[in-house]
Amino acid sequence: MSPSDADIQNIDRLIHEPSRLTIMMHLYVVESADFQFLQHQTGMTPGNLSSHLRKLEDAGYVEVTKEFLDKTPHTALKLTRKGREAFKEYRRNVKRFIDKLPE
Amino acid sequence: MVMELLMIANYFAIQSFICYKVVCIFWLKIMTKQNTLREIEKKAYMSYHQDGLLDIFIGLYALAFGLGIIADKILEFGFGVIMPAILIAIVLPIWIEAKRKITMPRIGFVKFGARGSNKLFALLLGLTVAGLGVFTLFGFFMMGQNGRPWWIEILFQYGMIWIGLGAAVIGSLFAYTMGLKRLYGYGLLTLGLFASGHFLSIPFEYFLLTIGSVIIACGAVLLAQFIRRYPLPKGAPENVAQ
Repeated sequence: MSPSDADIQNIDRLIHEPSRLTIMMHLYVVESADFQFLQHQTGMTPGNLSSHLRKLEDAGYVEVTKEFLDKTPHTALKLTRKGREAFKEYRRNVKRFIDKLPE
Repeated sequence: MVMELLMIANYFAIQSFICYKVVCIFWLKIMTKQNTLREIEKKAYMSYHQDGLLDIFIGLYALAFGLGIIADKILEFGFGVIMPAILIAIVLPIWIEAKRKITMPRIGFVKFGARGSNKLFALLLGLTVAGLGVFTLFGFFMMGQNGRPWWIEILFQYGMIWIGLGAAVIGSLFAYTMGLKRLYGYGLLTLGLFASGHFLSIPFEYFLLTIGSVIIACGAVLLAQFIRRYPLPKGAPENVAQ
């Protein structure tokens, strides 16, 4: 059985982009992290990370909270419930797609 | 001629598509493995505990315990009991403050899920219950009217080795639970030193001082490496989404 068009269509293109997938993966394994930690872990530049985060925030996958800690601006990031569900669904769909590929 | 060119173009298009698919499948296979997520979680966790602060505080604890016993002998006052109690009360707030001042400005802040802390709490609870059980059992047999049983005599005779073994087991349990391999090393070091202490007849507290100093030195090296690897960001704070 080979994958159908529907299998490919089911894959969330917003998450599928490698940089955003990396961000989603790193946020999925923690409860929350700040911008600096995520930047160290992903190895992305601040501008690149910021632009991808905005897209994920617009989709409602990431919650961005800006606050001050000891008079220093601080950006806390966490996956929303919708984001967690979307990532789980993405993994299921990709796995299904791969399983259907001929050897 | 046109047909031939079209065929060549088609051939290259198919080859490129196959290459693209192979790369995509390889990437997707990596991303869908549960192991990869575990490794990412481990990497995040390890980077947060490679600052050596934990080691420095474990070492300080052993050092203070040893100094407490020495002071106890010299001044004949219960420092050996008081020192660990004082340290327990002050070490945790200092450790949190050190994390906030040294680690967080360099690599940022992360909050891990409840799974890891639940495992650690279960281990601490288990060790406390086991410790209390052992002490109760010991007390029961020590105060028996028929004198000490033979196995307690053996425990006392090889006391240093048993303490070393206990430290190695506890160190290994923490190493396994926290995923910090160097704790296995500290456990083995304690076992080795205490076992040699048994044969060399050197007092217990000097080994505590040695172990504490070695662990502090390891922690200081890790801290220096951490500070070199993650310097403080210059100029505008990086911790802000633009």
